[in-house]
Amino acid sequence: MTDRECAVALERLYEFLDHELADADADAIRAHLDACEPCLDAYGVEEHIRSLVKRCCTGTRAPDTLRVRVTQVTTMTVVVRHTPSG
Amino acid sequence: MSTTAAAPARERPATNLFERLGSYAMTLPAADEALSAATGAGADLATQTDDERVARFERDALVFLDQLYGAALRMTRNPSDAEDLVQDTYVKAFASFHQFTPGTNLKAWLYRILTNSFINTYRKKQRQPQISGGDQIEDWQLARAEAHTSDGLRTAEMDALDRMPDSAVTDAMNALSPDFRLAVYLADVEGFSYKEIAEIMGTPIGTVMSRLNRGRNQLRVALADFAREHGLGRRGGDDD
Repeated sequence: MTDRECAVALERLYEFLDHELADADADAIRAHLDACEPCLDAYGVEEHIRSLVKRCCTGTRAPDTLRVRVTQVTTMTVVVRHTPSG
Repeated sequence: MSTTAAAPARERPATNLFERLGSYAMTLPAADEALSAATGAGADLATQTDDERVARFERDALVFLDQLYGAALRMTRNPSDAEDLVQDTYVKAFASFHQFTPGTNLKAWLYRILTNSFINTYRKKQRQPQISGGDQIEDWQLARAEAHTSDGLRTAEMDALDRMPDSAVTDAMNALSPDFRLAVYLADVEGFSYKEIAEIMGTPIGTVMSRLNRGRNQLRVALADFAREHGLGRRGGDDD
């Protein structure tokens, strides 16, 4: 365990959690996390916050008034497209 | 053929629906850019009838209404503005839908239009002071390594996060600058890849990563502060 390993792990934390790392890089991080509790802690916190954000921002339902307005978009545009401009 | 689709609309008298949008609704440079970059196969679509196109739009695009509204709500932080923004988005999307190639990423395409609408019309119109200034928060920035120390939230305090009211989280999100907020939303809530977020926001991937980094850092600090201020810290016995 070196400070440098920790620095790399923390620097790439988001890329790891976002599944943006190549397999080999992700494996290296995983190996480090197995051995380094403070880094594992940091990863855990970030993952937790991410799920919290997701929980709080998911499941919003559009108001029915908007649903009606949006449904009219195609209807009105079709009418427009078939109406002679003169 | 496809170029004639929107042309008559420019000349006809404005209706209630389009009044607010004016001719802007029919000029879609950003959306068209995204399209030509993504497709290059628009020719087949020229043979599609209007009815087919409407049916395809209703089937494929309208299912994202709730998600787009959720994102718009996060962008505008205001239900009535969010409604207008989403409707503008659908008007623009439908107007250029004849160019959209089935099978490509419709969701990202819609988010791109939503983001452009927000930036180009809504954000300019609003001129809210808090809308700008993504850089003035530099001093918030904790070096990533500090999460390693007692300054950050630790696993022992996770239960504090679980007990945090949703409003605390949405408030913390709303306090982020628009660019950070949107990047975090697109990644954490919608699960878009960096590449997709870069396309949606019209920025290089490096900028996306930087926005995610800074946005999430600020979010973590804000939530940690909230937890401490409201006594949501660890309960007795949690240290064991």
